[in-house]
Parts: sequence; C-alpha cells; structure tokens
Amino acid sequence: MALLRAHELTKTFGSVRALDGVSFEIDEGITGLLGSNGAGKSTSLKLFLGLLDPDSGSAEVLGQEARNSPEVRTRIGYGPEHDCLPRNVSAAEFLAYMARISGLPRTAARLRASDVLRHVGLFEERYRPMETYSTGMKQRVKLAQALVHDPVIAFLDEPTAGLDPLGRREMLELIRRVGGEFGISIVISTHLMGDVERACDSVVVLDAGRLLRSGPVSGFTEETETLEVELLEGAEAVVAALRGRGLEPTVGTAGRRLTLEGVSGEDYDTLRDVIVDAGALLYRLAPARHSLADVFTSDADPATEEASS
Amino acid sequence: MSSRPAEVFDLGYRGYEGERTGRWARRDAIWRDGIRISLGLGRGVGAKVAPWLLLALALVPMVVLVVVAAFVGPATNPDDFELPSYADYYGWAMVPLALFAAVVAPLLICPDRSDRVLSLYAARPITPLDYVGARWAAFATVALAAAWAPEAVLFTWNVLDAEHPGSFLRDNWEVVPRFLAAGALVATVLTTLALLVSSFATRRAYASVAMLAVIFIGSAIGGIAEDNFSGGAADAVSLVGLPQATTDAVRWIFDDEVDRPVSGGVALLWLLGLTIVLAAWLVRRTNRLVRG
Repeated sequence: MALLRAHELTKTFGSVRALDGVSFEIDEGITGLLGSNGAGKSTSLKLFLGLLDPDSGSAEVLGQEARNSPEVRTRIGYGPEHDCLPRNVSAAEFLAYMARISGLPRTAARLRASDVLRHVGLFEERYRPMETYSTGMKQRVKLAQALVHDPVIAFLDEPTAGLDPLGRREMLELIRRVGGEFGISIVISTHLMGDVERACDSVVVLDAGRLLRSGPVSGFTEETETLEVELLEGAEAVVAALRGRGLEPTVGTAGRRLTLEGVSGEDYDTLRDVIVDAGALLYRLAPARHSLADVFTSDADPATEEASS
Repeated sequence: MSSRPAEVFDLGYRGYEGERTGRWARRDAIWRDGIRISLGLGRGVGAKVAPWLLLALALVPMVVLVVVAAFVGPATNPDDFELPSYADYYGWAMVPLALFAAVVAPLLICPDRSDRVLSLYAARPITPLDYVGARWAAFATVALAAAWAPEAVLFTWNVLDAEHPGSFLRDNWEVVPRFLAAGALVATVLTTLALLVSSFATRRAYASVAMLAVIFIGSAIGGIAEDNFSGGAADAVSLVGLPQATTDAVRWIFDDEVDRPVSGGVALLWLLGLTIVLAAWLVRRTNRLVRG
C-alpha cells in the first residue's frame, strides 16, 4: 500500500493555482518532492498534514485523509524549512515535550528524546539552550523532533537549507540512515536536485502546480548512448583519427573534451585503439548520464510520462 | 577487578512499540508546559522573578493583615483595626492579578509565535482548540490559585478566630462557594483577555503594554462616563472599565452591593457575555495562527 496518495489534488489561493489536478503515490523509502519555488511542494506537504483543505481531490496518508483525522498525525513527523525551535529551552526538554504531545507517555518521551538526540549526534549538547546551537545543530534538532515519536513517515522541508557543503553532506547521510537503518520513510521537499540524487530512492517532480514526472531516481539518472572523453594531450590527433574511421565527435570549447553520440560496444574498442595509436593522454572516459535537470528541459509531455516505465 | 561479566549493548535505532496516549494526555502535556511557563519552573531565575513577585503581591498582604489581626485582637469600636471583607480584598487584588496577567500570560503564546513553534503544533495530533484550550487552562489554573489563596487564608483565619469554629462554619459555609465563584470570574476574565491580546503580538513586551492599555483606557472611559454623564448609555459605557465591572460583579456575588449606576448582577452578565465573545475570538485567532 502506498504511504501517501494524491488523487486529482487541486488547491488555489485566490487567483493562484498552487496545485492543478495532481495525482501521485509515494511508497516506503526516501522520496524527493522536487520543484522550484511556487511549484506546489509546500502546499502538497500541508495538504498531507491536513493543515489545508483541497479544493478538489484527496490527499491520503496511510490510507486516511489527514484533514479528517488528527490521529493519523501520531504516525507523521514534520520538519519545516524555517526556524521553529524555542530559544531558551534545551533540546532534551523540547523533544520530550514534542513526544508527549505526539502521544508518548512521559517516561517514554524522555527516553526517546535522549535516544533520538544521540542518533542525530547531539547527545552531549542536549541540555544546552537551543539558542546557543549552530545552524547545523538546529537542523539536526528539527530532524530529531520529527522522529521523536517514531513516525511511519516524516516530511522534511528543505532539510539542508543554510548548511555549508560539509553540513549538507552530513545531513543527507543522516537522512539516508533514517530511511535505511531506522526504517522511517522520508519525504524531502527541496529545490536542490543534488540533494535528491544523493539521498532519495524516488522522486516526484512538480512544476507550477503540475506533476512533471515521478518514479525511481535511478530512472532519471540512467546511462545514455553518449560517450564523454576528456584528453590532456593529443586531442586533435584523436579527433582526426576518429573522423577517419567514420565517427563524428563533437569537440568542446577547450578542445580537450570530446562527445560521441550513439556509441555502440565496437566504438569503445575503436576509441581505445585511436587513443593508443595517437599517443594521447586520456584523463576521463565515461558514458554520459541523464540528470534530474533534464526533466525541466525535456520537451516530452510531462503529465503522462513516468520515469519508471 | 570487576566480577561483572562484560556486556555488549546494541546502540542501534529502536522503534517505539509501547502504548500511545490519547488526546487528553496530549492536552495535559500542553497544560503542564503552560503551568511551568507561567511560574518560570525549569527556567532561569530571571523567568521566576515577575510571576512570583506578582503572585506574592496578591497573597502576602492578606497574610500580613491576618497576622496583624492575630496580634491586635477583635475590634471593639469603629476605629479599631479590621480585616477587609472578602469582596473588598478582590477590589485590591485586581491590580496585582491584572499585572500578573499582563506580564505573564504573553509568555504562553508570544514565544510560540516569534519562534514559529506553532507550525510544529500544527503537525502534531492535536487541534488548534486543544492547544489554546490547554494554554488557557494552564494560565487560568495559576490565576485561580492566586485569586483563591488569599480568600482561603481569610476564611481559615475567620474560622479559627471564631469563638465556636464549628458553628461559624455552619453559619458561614456559603462564603466558600461565593469566593470560589468570584475568584473564577476574575481569573476567567483576565486569562481570556490577556491571551487574546497576546495572540496579536509576537513580542511579549508589546502584548503586556497592550493588555495594560486595554485595562487602563477602558477604566478611564468607564470612569468618565460614570462621573460626567447619566442615563442608560452612560451606564452601559461605564461597564467598559473592566476592573470596576469585575469588582461590582464580585460584590454582587458576595451579596455586598453598593450604590452603583449598574447593578452587580448586570455587570456579571456583561462580563460572562464578554468573556464568551473574547474566547470565541481567541479560538478563531489561534486557528488561523496555528494552521498558518
């Protein structure tokens, strides 16, 4: 059974149509809700949390419509994009409180708070007021409070916002751990394609309130029939030799990068021989991959296309 | 060397498989948090100063008066020292209680707004009504305790000081429900007004000033209407002065009416109606704030 199901979901704010008849399903694992600002990501999250009522269609979480059942939120976690932590309270106290209002008894709430803070790497600092925390630590507390009541699924809105590259990598690794080791499904709302490619199993791409595509991330980043070659020396000789053998490489502006379209297995052998014969210095040779960015530049009709198909 | 055998602990993630509490337990958690905030419990010394000082201001004078009465003895002529009546004490205690509401009640809502914690409440298995209801109940609990405690001290002293405590208790038992009702009225009005005003401010100081402005400007308008005009309209406007209207209603509850343009019973009805309207407004306002 899908954890989340949006069916013909439409939501307008005044004259702005935030979501326009969107349908998709999200299964277990880590899913990226990808789109630029105004794509409808936050609106989708609020509809799944039951904070907004759709104009038409339905947003089901664990088989229930969240707006009709606050109880379903005992199994949902949420980490918003913006700052949301009280300043003069310790992380341990805050998480225990969040656990209690999420339905855990008092003793269990305290134990879970400490346990989850240990898992996100804040065990030593758990009794410090949160106003003294760095941005990275605050992002970890936001993640921890979303997990403290052991939800089935957690929504994280821009979880790497404001983090430096190292902090961003650590946060994405932590999210991978939550999705794998903890067994808690995650939905990341983000406009960063790199975050989705690094952390997510599947992706739902929204654009201007419409569904562009959805499916496994691997389906978006599979290899193409284009070969990319980078040479440190002897590029001109290689290009000439390839043309002599009937191949038409595209040469990059620096003259060192070659691209070969529609290559087959035999072409790899040809290329190898040409490079050896020309005495060229090979730096890189790899098939090109599709990227999530292609989704936004594709001319294909988005509404009906499934990346997984 | 320890004889205890070595143990290997699994520090991996463990899901929660215990019981999950119902909605009342979640409301109870918010209520307890509200009590702690109201009294500065679990916070630094600075957070405790204002609430405890103002609570002491409401309670200590009565304790001092009772101690003085114990030393002075019963009054034998009109110039002797006398303890205040139950209604009189509320007339005085309105000031520290209103200050307490203005200074402390904003702490229950303003930081949640300014720190944007409300979005987290919204994602939890509670409704906006659960949130504001529990916050209201928390502050009302503290305000009730502050309103009842001095009256309880006075009543206890009167019982102990009586020649025959048993018969005094039998003859005056109706004072207890009266001071409970009067305290409930004072606490309810102040709590509802203070939380509603707080819901419009993100900074505690602004909420405090706004609450005091509502009380003082209302009192001024009520006083001007009462002193300078006559007739039904002026009497109605005089009710805008909430401290005076509350004192009148309290006197009516104690069957201690004095000559006022509007009877205490009418003042009581006005306060109850006003509180219901303010409470409905507070719920509506919180609904908007929590659901963003």
